[in-house]
Amino acid sequence: MTIHDEIDNYLAADLHNELSEDEQNALHSHLVECADCRKIHQETKIMNKVLEEKFTNEKPDSAFEQRLLAGFRNRISNRPGTIAKFIVDLMRLRATQIAAVAAVLLALVQVGRLITGEGPRSLRNREYDVREEFAQRSASISHGRNASDPKAKKTEQEGGANFADTYRKDDITRLGVRTPTDLILKVPASAGAGRSQYATKNAATAPAQEKGESTPENDDEKMVAAAPPEPQTEASPAAAAVLGNRKLIRNATVELEIVSFDQAVQKITAFASEEKGYIATTSSEKQENGKLKGEIVVKVLPENLDRFLQKIRGLGELKNQTLGTDDITKSYFDTEARLKNARMMESRLIDMLKKKSDDINDLLQVEKELGRVREQIEQMQGELKFWDSQVQFATVTISLAEKDLEAAAKYLLKERAQLALYTPEVEKVYNDLKGLASPKVQITNAQLDRDNTGRVSAKVSMLIAPEESEGVIAKAKAMGRVENFQVQTERVAQGGEEMSENATTKRDKVELNITISRDEQEQAFQETSLRIRTSSVDEKAKKLRDLAEKQNGRVRNSSFSRDPDGREYANVSLRVPMKNYNALMQSLDSLGKVENVSVQRQDRSGGQIDEANAPADLSIQVYSQGNIVSSDTGLIATLRRTIAQSAGAIMWSLRMIGVAIAFLAPWIAAIVGGIWILRRIRNRRS
Amino acid sequence: MMDANEREVYRAAIHGDREAFEMIIRTQSRPLFAIAYGILQNREEAEDAVQDTLVKAWKSHWRVRDPEKFPAWLCMIARHRARDVFRKRRPVSISEIPETVESEPTDTTIIDRQLHSALASLPEIHRAAISLRYFEEIDYATIENRLGLSNGSLRGILGRALATMRKQLKPALASEQP
Repeated sequence: MTIHDEIDNYLAADLHNELSEDEQNALHSHLVECADCRKIHQETKIMNKVLEEKFTNEKPDSAFEQRLLAGFRNRISNRPGTIAKFIVDLMRLRATQIAAVAAVLLALVQVGRLITGEGPRSLRNREYDVREEFAQRSASISHGRNASDPKAKKTEQEGGANFADTYRKDDITRLGVRTPTDLILKVPASAGAGRSQYATKNAATAPAQEKGESTPENDDEKMVAAAPPEPQTEASPAAAAVLGNRKLIRNATVELEIVSFDQAVQKITAFASEEKGYIATTSSEKQENGKLKGEIVVKVLPENLDRFLQKIRGLGELKNQTLGTDDITKSYFDTEARLKNARMMESRLIDMLKKKSDDINDLLQVEKELGRVREQIEQMQGELKFWDSQVQFATVTISLAEKDLEAAAKYLLKERAQLALYTPEVEKVYNDLKGLASPKVQITNAQLDRDNTGRVSAKVSMLIAPEESEGVIAKAKAMGRVENFQVQTERVAQGGEEMSENATTKRDKVELNITISRDEQEQAFQETSLRIRTSSVDEKAKKLRDLAEKQNGRVRNSSFSRDPDGREYANVSLRVPMKNYNALMQSLDSLGKVENVSVQRQDRSGGQIDEANAPADLSIQVYSQGNIVSSDTGLIATLRRTIAQSAGAIMWSLRMIGVAIAFLAPWIAAIVGGIWILRRIRNRRS
Repeated sequence: MMDANEREVYRAAIHGDREAFEMIIRTQSRPLFAIAYGILQNREEAEDAVQDTLVKAWKSHWRVRDPEKFPAWLCMIARHRARDVFRKRRPVSISEIPETVESEPTDTTIIDRQLHSALASLPEIHRAAISLRYFEEIDYATIENRLGLSNGSLRGILGRALATMRKQLKPALASEQP
């Protein structure tokens, strides 16, 4: 940009003295050079002058400001701030503005919550539930002292204060705090200012309650303090004397496993006499396998009991031992006292008799009573004597058992055979099997079932003498194709459970269970699944059937379907004998591309299987390619889905915006309306 | 830009100090008049517009936060006010103005009339700038501030305005030129 181009601007600025020194110099040197610009300069100067003249004429007079001021004062009254002015001044403060905005937002949120009804109610409910629960719990902790408080659960605040209260009382009882100032401190910090105030109020009543409560507590303490001397007396030196007076029955049971029963009995007898005891009873029993077991009851002096037990333990392996003491002191002395009373009664009755009353009736009654009392006396005496004997001697019950007591005496070998046969003619095989019956082959069960679909199956159970079993089983196997053959052998011990080297083994009759079913039901020996891809499914499926028939196979089922993508499927399941399997597989190649071949072979254990005739299942899927891209994938479908999703999202956000507007609109309208009215009022006033 | 004293006056006015505001009326009403006159080309109307502007400014003085912007804000109100008045009188003015002018058919009034029409043909902002400049002889920076123009743009505006008028008034001026 040169000065020449901007000559107007330069000239104007020059006339208004707004050019810098450099610019001024540049302008002047240009004016010297350029005649056009000089001309414009002249004209502009005139223009400027005209304008200056014009505006000087039009300038407001000197009273202009005074007029304006007067007019202003006229229109704006000088009265001091009204309420409106105060409000306006208040609105000027930024803090007020922020507070107002916050209040409006808060109000909106609250209204929104009220409208949707989701937030506040559930929140408050939850809070309330928690409080209530807490109040109940604390009430139960304080043993219902506050549960009867009528103020409980009245309102939330009161409820809160109440549970704070109970909480506080709990603390008092637990920590033993006594002074009211401490009570206030015990209020949980979370209880808040309001609650602590409440607590202060209650604190005045608390000490009184505390006094009432403290008495039982003090009593408890006294009791606890008084308690300790009791065990001390028990532990004092007088204990031995007390023990001496006591009537104790001591019993012991010992279970031993020994090598020889007789030897053990001898030894026990010797030990018993050593310890000043005696054998009370012995019993023994011989088991089927020749082993002995028995029981010996020994009486020994109680003070020697422990030593005796120690000795017995050396006899064999200790399996079980119990040692019991029965304190009968109380009942013993009771009985003794009652006996004394009964004796006195007796002597009194005898005195009565001696008086010789005339009344026979009286005499009879006295006699009767005397008899009863004497019976009692005898009974009690007997009891005491029994106890004396029990106390005098300790009873040791020794159970003896020789080693290998459980060894078996003999074994029985039980054979159980299961045979599953497949045959085209079930009934024939069934009859043949029944024909095997002989004195050594016993048919225990035979049944032929025909279900409502016409399927026939049969079950035959037989018991075969051991020597015949192999021949019969072989004959049965030959009658059909063996699907499964299992033999279970069980050795049953007799006369004991444990192993024994010298026990005999005997073969029992063989139990044979045969199930006969038609071979359709037979599970395939080998299962093959494969897919054949071809363009003409229908035709190839027919051809496949022909091929199968050629190989002596049977079509079990077939289906044809077409899916939305235009793909065609024909599913064919075949069954061929194993020997023709390979030939069929090879011929399949002529139908199309064979894919996904999977072969599952079921090798059966424990049975001799006629592999050549075993059935092999083939499930073949013949299918066509169909459309490469299915209708629900690919570009268009993806686009469609995407658009649908985004449309959904937009709709959703529209809905949200609508909700937001529904929340905001009334408020905005109210606020704007309010401002408008306020302004109208103020305008009218001014 | 603005000295501390001036700023203090504006600040007080913003906060509702009436005396400060009256002070502002004394100092600022002439520039405001210049603007209003620039737009309206009529002294009485311009004066009324300034009066309205001041009243309105006083009523809504709390809307301004920055004392620096107070004068510019005043000018803005004045411009709006003047524009409103201009719009309202539009249908009447065409028949009215020639009459008053024709009542004094002197030599100066011909130029005056032409000047008048030349001014009227300028854009509003040009008129405002010219009247501010020629009434008050305010420097360019202040005018830019008052009219809310960017720095340095006034030179172009005035240059163009003068050039336009110069071209329009050329014949009349030539006759006046000795």
